[in-house]
Amino acid sequence: MQLTRQQEDMFEGKKGPGARRAMEILVAYGDVYDAKRMIPVSSVHMAGNFPVLMDEGIQWLEDLAGEGTRVTVFTTKNPEMYDFEEADELNIPMAYQVRQNRIHDALKSLGVTLTYSCHHYLVGNVPRFGDHIAWASSGSQVFANSVIGARSNRDGDHAALAAAITGAIPEWGLHLDENRKGEFIIDAGRLDLENYGSADYKALGWHLGKAVGAKIPVFVNLPHDMVIEEIKGLLYTLTVTGAIGLVHLVGITPEAMTVEAAFAGNPPPLPEITPSQEDVNRAYLDISSSSEEKVDMVIFGCPQCSIQEVREIADLLGDRKIHPDTQLWICTSAWVKALCKRMDLLDSLRASGARVVADVGAADGPHLYLREQGVRVVAINSARGSYYAHNLFGMETWFGSTRECVESAVSGKWEGRK
Amino acid sequence: MKIKAKTVVPGITEGEAIVSRTAISFTGGMDPETGIIREPGHELEGQSVAGKILVFPGGKGSTTGSWQFYAAFKRGAAPKGIINVKAEGVVAISAIITGTPMVHELEQDLLKVIQTGDFIRIDADKGFIEIEEG
Repeated sequence: MQLTRQQEDMFEGKKGPGARRAMEILVAYGDVYDAKRMIPVSSVHMAGNFPVLMDEGIQWLEDLAGEGTRVTVFTTKNPEMYDFEEADELNIPMAYQVRQNRIHDALKSLGVTLTYSCHHYLVGNVPRFGDHIAWASSGSQVFANSVIGARSNRDGDHAALAAAITGAIPEWGLHLDENRKGEFIIDAGRLDLENYGSADYKALGWHLGKAVGAKIPVFVNLPHDMVIEEIKGLLYTLTVTGAIGLVHLVGITPEAMTVEAAFAGNPPPLPEITPSQEDVNRAYLDISSSSEEKVDMVIFGCPQCSIQEVREIADLLGDRKIHPDTQLWICTSAWVKALCKRMDLLDSLRASGARVVADVGAADGPHLYLREQGVRVVAINSARGSYYAHNLFGMETWFGSTRECVESAVSGKWEGRK
Repeated sequence: MKIKAKTVVPGITEGEAIVSRTAISFTGGMDPETGIIREPGHELEGQSVAGKILVFPGGKGSTTGSWQFYAAFKRGAAPKGIINVKAEGVVAISAIITGTPMVHELEQDLLKVIQTGDFIRIDADKGFIEIEEG
């Protein structure tokens, strides 16, 4: 791979041990994919929190920070374990607070902007169409490629952080035009799309993930007025069971305004996959792992709830109280929580017994201590959240729509499909 | 049998193969304490990849997988070599940061020629693997 003079200097250690380590990772990474050069990145996002980093990962970050390493590109950070303003109220065990603070300090020392959000593109980290970026976090990465038209590979945190430090990433994969062409058609035309909500798109994404694998699908016959939450529902779920980085949604993806544009010329004559409504209905049941009626907790926010989603939950709940043996959490960013406070949503939700929790997502961080606090059965409106809560933390899960989850919080038992 | 392959991470290692015909996610899919595959319904569910030569098509799922692989590596629960049909970013980075010898793009269909239990030698310095049937 061809390096610039400045990149050579980093590789040889003239810019410090952190820049050298970052460059070593990127050169090895680029060599795997025959990258010819490194290209500048305009935006970086990091994903991991304590449950995935574990003590070994914290040490890795601290070693890097301890060498005086700093990022040179605007870099934001995914959710952490708990709401920084409510550590005591949430009864966060000291062992976790110590870990959280170590990660916080290491990231701060590295110069990472501490957003603790997975909707970082709603709170300031917005690349432009065509920008080269390094976003870890498989969901937001596929969002960047497919909705914004920025270009990111499925870079893990180590590659993303190395890009943040060096300011560059090897040019391969989705950074190149020739690798962004659609590979096969998925026809959504047989589905009952008129009545679809976000949860239905998630169930659809779940059903299709395995078949999609790492190939670039081109969706046709999706409604062009899908709202962001529905698009996220489909895209984020596709990355759980698949390894997809770019999805062409014809009429929505900037590079895929037509089928021809999505394939850069020659679309195949027939769709390869035409999912049926029965497939989607079956996916609903596949996603849920629980068989127990009683719900200990309803948790929203994988990805973190937008202000629109918080409003929807508050409207569905009205002035009803949630069941005394069930908790309801709405996970979001500190920004959306500040908005909730300003708009009196925080107080009205609290009066119902619900809680808005900032800095966390519903898929991972909190489950670590929630499980220790006795939460076993979780209802969630996210297929992705269900998968990680079950597989990473051993929670039993029910998956359903926002309405079904809210009703379950009120009655204390699962009110959705089973 | 000797098969040419493309190097992802250099190094030489050998051991018993464990073969999966489906993709693997290190986050959620593998217990970093034991190396046991824990994705429900996965063909390797309940089996440990620790200390083995892990043969699979490629990665999937969360991009945080490199942290979980790193933790597994530090705890002695990671595979000691990796062979992929086609390397995917998260798996490649996992191998790079742990120095785990890894190859991909074999000259033959590896999922057909390698069986679980075969004895495999990866020479990622020279770019080939050797298979002794188990």
